[in-house]
Amino acid sequence: MSDDLKARITAAFKDKSKGDKKMFYIRDVVKWFPGDDRHAVQNTVQELLNEDILKYWSSGSSTYVMLAEFFPKE
Amino acid sequence: MEKSKTPLLDQLEGGKWPSFVKDMKQAAEKSPMAKDLISQLELSYKEKIGHWKHGGIVGVKGYGGGVIGRYSDRPDLFPAVQHFHTMRVNHPTGWFYTTKALRKLCDIWDKHGSGLTNMHGSTGDAILLGMKTDQLQPCFDDLSDSGFDLGGSGSALRTPSACVGPGRCEWACIDSLDICYNLTMNYQGKMHRPMFPYKFKIKVSACPNDCVASIARSDFSIIGTWKGVIRIDQKEIDAYAASDLDIQKEVCDLCPTKCMEWDGKTLKIHDGDCNRCMHCINLMPKALRPGKEKGATILVGGKAPILEGALLSSVIVPFMKLEPPYTELKDLIDRIQDWWDEHGKSRERLGELIKRLGMRVFLRAVGLPAVPQMVKAPRSNPYVFFWPEDIKKPDEIAKEVK
Ligand code: HEM
Ligand code: HEM
Ligand code: SF4
Ligand code: SF4
Repeated sequence: MSDDLKARITAAFKDKSKGDKKMFYIRDVVKWFPGDDRHAVQNTVQELLNEDILKYWSSGSSTYVMLAEFFPKE
Repeated sequence: MEKSKTPLLDQLEGGKWPSFVKDMKQAAEKSPMAKDLISQLELSYKEKIGHWKHGGIVGVKGYGGGVIGRYSDRPDLFPAVQHFHTMRVNHPTGWFYTTKALRKLCDIWDKHGSGLTNMHGSTGDAILLGMKTDQLQPCFDDLSDSGFDLGGSGSALRTPSACVGPGRCEWACIDSLDICYNLTMNYQGKMHRPMFPYKFKIKVSACPNDCVASIARSDFSIIGTWKGVIRIDQKEIDAYAASDLDIQKEVCDLCPTKCMEWDGKTLKIHDGDCNRCMHCINLMPKALRPGKEKGATILVGGKAPILEGALLSSVIVPFMKLEPPYTELKDLIDRIQDWWDEHGKSRERLGELIKRLGMRVFLRAVGLPAVPQMVKAPRSNPYVFFWPEDIKKPDEIAKEVK
């Protein structure tokens, strides 16, 4: 079940990142999956962060999540 | 004499207050980063424009916060501040350091960063200003080896903070230090792995003097208070009466609820009307002490002006006993954060969400009753109306009348 959600979240990130916008608020990610439990989505995002598939991006005051491949290089 | 390269910054050293410019110049004697920082700031003052780029990296391995990425947009002019990240270090509860720990912190920072610090930021953390990306991990490892950890940043639980409380202060009604430490340890996940709509701050003051300004600066404010009568030591009252304190004018007349009486000999307090503002106790600490039954008032929704305007916290639990392991407190925090996490918009603080949906919706969602202590004065804040579902429709009423 969790693997399925992982795949769906990753796919959604790929799909949503097609445009210029690459960074998303965690709340927006949760909203992509109205049928799923909010906590399950958040926990799965955490797993994807641990696996370095996703990466945090932060302005300092608010935090976004994005695909690691798009994380800005210095 | 050589002409100063920073005429604008120099002006800030002219006033009678201590100036950060002086500190920066001192640091610049041994730190190239501090030197370029001064030059970039002078340029900003001259052009009236900031030269920092915001955001990016968040932390070290396993952390989603604690580091705030900053880059110069003029690395061509100021190569030493091309990266100038901030590291937030979780301060010891109540800001009690040994000099040994402080020295250790400074040594680590001289080794890995600019040497400039901000002790402390308004979050409470020890702020280490100015670090290159490649120094993040080694600096963290050194901090970690010395017993320090990162604080919170971004859309996370921020480093909880507390007044010195029972560590120094006889007015403490709760153990602010233990509560703060307990919550910090309990919520490590929420601090280091941001998952909230926005920041969430918890601050603990052990009495209504509220020395950490939790009511103005935190989403969840815990303020020590008491039930029952203010304890009076009549002998000490006599001593104050004989001193140059004017008990009538300076104490009784300034009591916000006018619940004190002074006949020149005996002080009487109508405790039922006292709102525990601490004024009388602050003025006559030897004669007056908080009541014996101690606990805390819980308030929510405070915040500084960024985005929407500033808000003060509102009372949601007038009195809660606070003893380890603080289960009731943590359950309440969890319910509140979960409700906010579900309904809050991105970058919407708890207080703004409560304003948007209504205090009664909030109270119902977290399972708290509306009580008189939440109301400032009759009719001033009507939290309680009929719920839509409790109101009968005209046709239902018509049916009943028939
Ligand atoms: C000498 C006679 C009276 C005086 C001086 C008086 C004075 C007042 C005042 C000053 C208020 C405002 C309270 C506030 O909201 O700050 C008030 C409210 C009110 N008065 Fe009177 N009143 C008098 C007689 C009456 C009578 C005879 C009635 C009804 C039969 C009445 C019914 C009300 C009601 C319903 C309110 C509103 C209470 C609320 O805000 O919840 N009053 N009155
Ligand atoms: C066509 C007749 C009436 C109209 C249009 C009317 C309208 C209003 C309105 C608009 C308010 C203010 C409500 C609010 O601020 O929340 C009010 C308040 C009030 N009215 Fe009337 N009213 C009428 C008749 C009456 C009568 C006959 C009485 C008493 C016998 C009365 C007693 C009151 C009282 C006591 C309040 C204050 C309620 C409160 O503050 O809780 N009204 N009325
Ligand atoms: S808030 Fe009260 S208990 Fe805490 S340090 Fe201030 S006066 Fe003392
Ligand atoms: S604590 Fe404040 S409200 Fe209470 S009696 Fe003293 S001055 Fe009055």
